[in-house]
Amino acid sequence: MTFKIIADSLGDVPPEVAKELGITIIPVHVIFGAESFRDGIDLTSEQFYDKLTREKTLPTTSVPPLGTFVDAFDKLAEETDQILAITVSSKLSATHETAAQAVELMKRKCRVEVVDSLGAGMAEGLLVITAAKAAQAGAGLDEVIKLTQRNITRTEIRMAFDTLEYLKRGGRIGRAQALLGSVLKLNPILGIKDGEVHPFARERSRAKAIDYLYNFAMSFANIEELAVEDATTPDEADMLVERLSSRFPRERIYRPKVSPVLGAHVGPHVLSVAVLGDRK
Amino acid sequence: MKRVDSLIGQNLREMFAAATAWLEKSASDIDALNVFPVPDGDTGTNMLLTMRSTMEEAYRAPDRSVAAVAQAMAKGALMGARGNSGVILSQIWRGLAQGLAEKEALTGSDLAGALKQSSTMAYNGLSNPVEGTILTVIREAASAAQTQASSGGNDLISIMEAAVDAASEAVANTPSLLPVLKEAGVVDAGGQGLYTILEGTLHYLKGEAEQLQLRKPLMIVSSVPLPVRLPQMAMGEVPYGYCTEFMLKGHELGSDKIRRKLEKKGQSLIVVGDESTVRIHIHTLAPGDVIHQATSLGTIHQVSIRNMDEQLQDFVEMQTERMPEVDMAIIVVVSGDGLTEVFKSLGVTVIVPGGQTMNPSTKDLLQAAEAVASDKVIILPNNKNIVPAAEQVQSLTAKKIEVVPTTTIPQGVAALLAFDYEADFGTNIELMKKSKSAVATIEITRAIRSTQLGGQNIKKKQAIGFLDGDLVAVGDSTTDVLNEVLARLALTKAEVITIYYGADTEPTEAEQVGLSIREQHPHLQVEVIRGGQSHYNYIVSVE
Repeated sequence: MTFKIIADSLGDVPPEVAKELGITIIPVHVIFGAESFRDGIDLTSEQFYDKLTREKTLPTTSVPPLGTFVDAFDKLAEETDQILAITVSSKLSATHETAAQAVELMKRKCRVEVVDSLGAGMAEGLLVITAAKAAQAGAGLDEVIKLTQRNITRTEIRMAFDTLEYLKRGGRIGRAQALLGSVLKLNPILGIKDGEVHPFARERSRAKAIDYLYNFAMSFANIEELAVEDATTPDEADMLVERLSSRFPRERIYRPKVSPVLGAHVGPHVLSVAVLGDRK
Repeated sequence: MKRVDSLIGQNLREMFAAATAWLEKSASDIDALNVFPVPDGDTGTNMLLTMRSTMEEAYRAPDRSVAAVAQAMAKGALMGARGNSGVILSQIWRGLAQGLAEKEALTGSDLAGALKQSSTMAYNGLSNPVEGTILTVIREAASAAQTQASSGGNDLISIMEAAVDAASEAVANTPSLLPVLKEAGVVDAGGQGLYTILEGTLHYLKGEAEQLQLRKPLMIVSSVPLPVRLPQMAMGEVPYGYCTEFMLKGHELGSDKIRRKLEKKGQSLIVVGDESTVRIHIHTLAPGDVIHQATSLGTIHQVSIRNMDEQLQDFVEMQTERMPEVDMAIIVVVSGDGLTEVFKSLGVTVIVPGGQTMNPSTKDLLQAAEAVASDKVIILPNNKNIVPAAEQVQSLTAKKIEVVPTTTIPQGVAALLAFDYEADFGTNIELMKKSKSAVATIEITRAIRSTQLGGQNIKKKQAIGFLDGDLVAVGDSTTDVLNEVLARLALTKAEVITIYYGADTEPTEAEQVGLSIREQHPHLQVEVIRGGQSHYNYIVSVE
């Protein structure tokens, strides 16, 4: 590989995949009261959701310190003179801005390109993975940036929620706030569009919501990459993978867990499907 | 009067440590303000974490020289900077360190010069500087400090006092520079954070250890009148008189006390502020009384009294804004306070009161259609007697009107839920029309006279049950009839049952009905909701 890839932990790239593809992951922080944890390092997804139900204070999240990015860039710059950083949507987090600032403060001389994925969760993760795969196959930095920009427009995500409380509390509900305050119990389906959270549908039951996710993936004419992510309901995710395997090889479907930082904003029971592909 | 002519490194460090402690006290209040650039509610926390890292490094520096301490602060801030405001804060300390380079001691003119450097550095750090943020606050503070320094005296207190006053004014003015703040009704969080830090340093310079320990930083109130979000209001409903807003200034103004005093005077009371300044908002029929009551507590400022009838038009526009697709409006016919609430909460644009016993006219529906901002309007009549009136609307307006001929409340709810925010008008009409087949409606009422219907003899006041408009059951008790109709449906295939009980039905009875369905069909998701409709004891949706 001629250049290195770095991403923040909001992309939920599974650790083993990151290792295999040589991707450096910068952890975003999740904060319970006075304690700060690095996403996925100090706190696993399971530990997080366990804590979420036990702790009195609800968690907040915090962008990685500027210094962490500077150090990470400088460290990678010892091995390479080209770095591609892919971040969570700049409309959802200041992580992108922090990474861009860090480039200015590096000690070593190195070309660093920071790309805004306009996504989060596996909508970001699939872009990171495809970029790393292309790099491994020998593509150059400029080529991979072009590929990633094109893939941003080909990547979509849908998430089935049980409650929008966490999203509202974290201030990232975007236009989905139209779905708040319903007298009826609803299962909202949200997605990320142009970098922001968007409402897509309102289902009346969990089963219908999962059907929606299934139909969403099946509506693609061509699927290049596929991910199914759960927060606390692995059985539902496994069943969905089973259904989708009629369409896409099961062993190629990524199955990460919603990371603690993302979890702090979406809450428990979130189930999501991300597709990189073509509609028609 | 107290004067401070110069500081050495150790004092500078103590000054910012005091400011950090001061900031810590209002970090969570600042979090709550945060809407720009990302509404993530962590500006206060980020600034505090940045300051902690700043001070940790400062404590590693030698005591004597201010240059060394400022250098260390800049380094600590840089490495620990979090979030946008943290990053800008680190730039501010970097500028300060540059301004104080090679200085052993800090004088008033040094401070003014260094703040100027801070301001320049903060702007330089950003590719796209936005006014109405922490940037504006540091610039105004630095400029005031310079004016004070050049007009005489080298006293650090007077210079910092000028900076703090200017910062306070700049923070209060942020909503007039940044529309997103005005819309949210808050001042800029990062600006408030910087103001709090500067205020903390001033307390230190003045030797106000007690202040620092016992008091809490004040949150600055916007100097421009902020728009107040109206509660939802349906067309044809009687509004609550006058929306009355003002600011109250005085001493020991307890928000709770004021709230207790005013809560009986009207609706939607909001009392926010601190001991010296409180903002009050209330919907009242007697604004004079409210103002009169308040004058006994302090002085009144920025009074605004608006007639809420006149606000209806604004309200309708705001409602259309709530829908992500602003070019489509949905008009729903419904009556009963509970059912109205259900439809409102699902995001309809306008509600026209009506139903079985009160059919709105074509004119009522036309007026609603003309009142909305959108050119494309969807009407859900929710009753078969209202469908014909709704279908007349198209011929009377230039707007594009589509009627989704829902004949029951559950069909209306299903149609509304099928609305796809991403789809165009035509697709949405298709989706909404199709949704009808996925829901069955049961209506239970009592016969108003003895009659024969559907081959059944019905006595006056007997309970009768309809399934999708057809009479299918007669009996003495409404719950028995409901159960009889439910038995006709293949409930094993259903997923969700929603029971809307009427104005004349006991809630406990309705809950009991829900419970027994849950017991018999554990796989069903059963919801019991007060519909408040007249005429029908129960309206039940089976999906």
